[in-house]
Amino acid sequence: MARDLAIDLGTANTLVYMKGKGIVLNEPSVIALNRQTGEVLATGREAWQMIGRTPGYIVAVRPLRGGAITDFEITERMIRLLLQRVGVSRFTRPKVVICVPSAITEVERRAVTDAARRAGAADAQLIEQPMAAAIGADLPIDEPIGNMVIDIGGGTSETAVISLGGIVALEAVRVGSFDIDAAIQSYVRREHGIAVGERTAEEVKVAIGSAEAGPDENQAEVRGRDLMTGLPKTVLLTAEEIRVAIDDVVSSITASVVRCLSKAPPELAQDFLVRGMYLVGGGGLLRGLAQRIERETQVPVKMSNVPLEAVVLGAGHCIEHYDALKSMFMGARR
Amino acid sequence: MEIFVVVVLVLMVLVAVVILQRRGRPRQDDGMNTFRRHIDALSPEARRESIDRARRHDEGKR
Repeated sequence: MARDLAIDLGTANTLVYMKGKGIVLNEPSVIALNRQTGEVLATGREAWQMIGRTPGYIVAVRPLRGGAITDFEITERMIRLLLQRVGVSRFTRPKVVICVPSAITEVERRAVTDAARRAGAADAQLIEQPMAAAIGADLPIDEPIGNMVIDIGGGTSETAVISLGGIVALEAVRVGSFDIDAAIQSYVRREHGIAVGERTAEEVKVAIGSAEAGPDENQAEVRGRDLMTGLPKTVLLTAEEIRVAIDDVVSSITASVVRCLSKAPPELAQDFLVRGMYLVGGGGLLRGLAQRIERETQVPVKMSNVPLEAVVLGAGHCIEHYDALKSMFMGARR
Repeated sequence: MEIFVVVVLVLMVLVAVVILQRRGRPRQDDGMNTFRRHIDALSPEARRESIDRARRHDEGKR
């Protein structure tokens, strides 16, 4: 008998929680394929290391963009392989709860559930990421008080107000930390005339990226291909210029938080001033982002203790208490 | 005699219909019970079990 699973199928990483056990898998959402035969060559961390470094016949891709499936067939194969890795076989078909962005369309929802069912799940239910994040971040969402959670993922940023076990207000934008990487890539190309890959852009973001000026700012040396000569070239980037380069993306994230705050009922809005908002997701780790949101909203922002795992822990809790919490699943409320 | 049988049959059918209708109708406290279970399952005590289990599993892997 298979143990039921909760899956955080993120644009950047996929995490799997097994009922009664905990988090059993945490890997990048990447799959490497042989272009000619269609065979899967690698998934997860191994495939991630191949991004931008493959010969012509191999392609390493992220099958999800902006939290949605861009290639149904590849996503299904990736889910099937992930399920196999955690012990799911043709004869053991578990119930699966999958975390998805709240803004996905009906067609995208069906694509996710179909992909999971075809990959070996007996039943696939969906839960909104900010709801799962609030459960996993241990916010008191069972009480009649306003809890605000900001989940910044690879492809989406979602802000939700939650009270008494349900979502009161929600705001989502299809902008996330991959858009920050893309902004860095395009800035370096435009201002320094060199092309860098997405992994290099991500390294720059982690090394010197920030949303607000900090006390000790560093510089980063970046190697790429000179667009004029085609030769390798090194340039020095400052934290200040990266901050300017990513400002549009950061501004659209903070604007969505402001929109969500303005949708919240006034009775709950006063709770935020006392309790603050909670930041989860990998994108929330960007230096100075909490301070920037705090400055623009005048509401305290706190970082969750488990920013990367909050969503899957919340979905895992739903799989542990499946019958009591099934009314929270997206299909159940339609 | 025939009238008596017909009356008894009609009464039996009526009783059966009433019983079936009552069974089909959701009880008034169903919604309250479901909501209470939902809220209880989201309580910090209930969540502590899942989080502790995840932590124990993580520590076991290290």
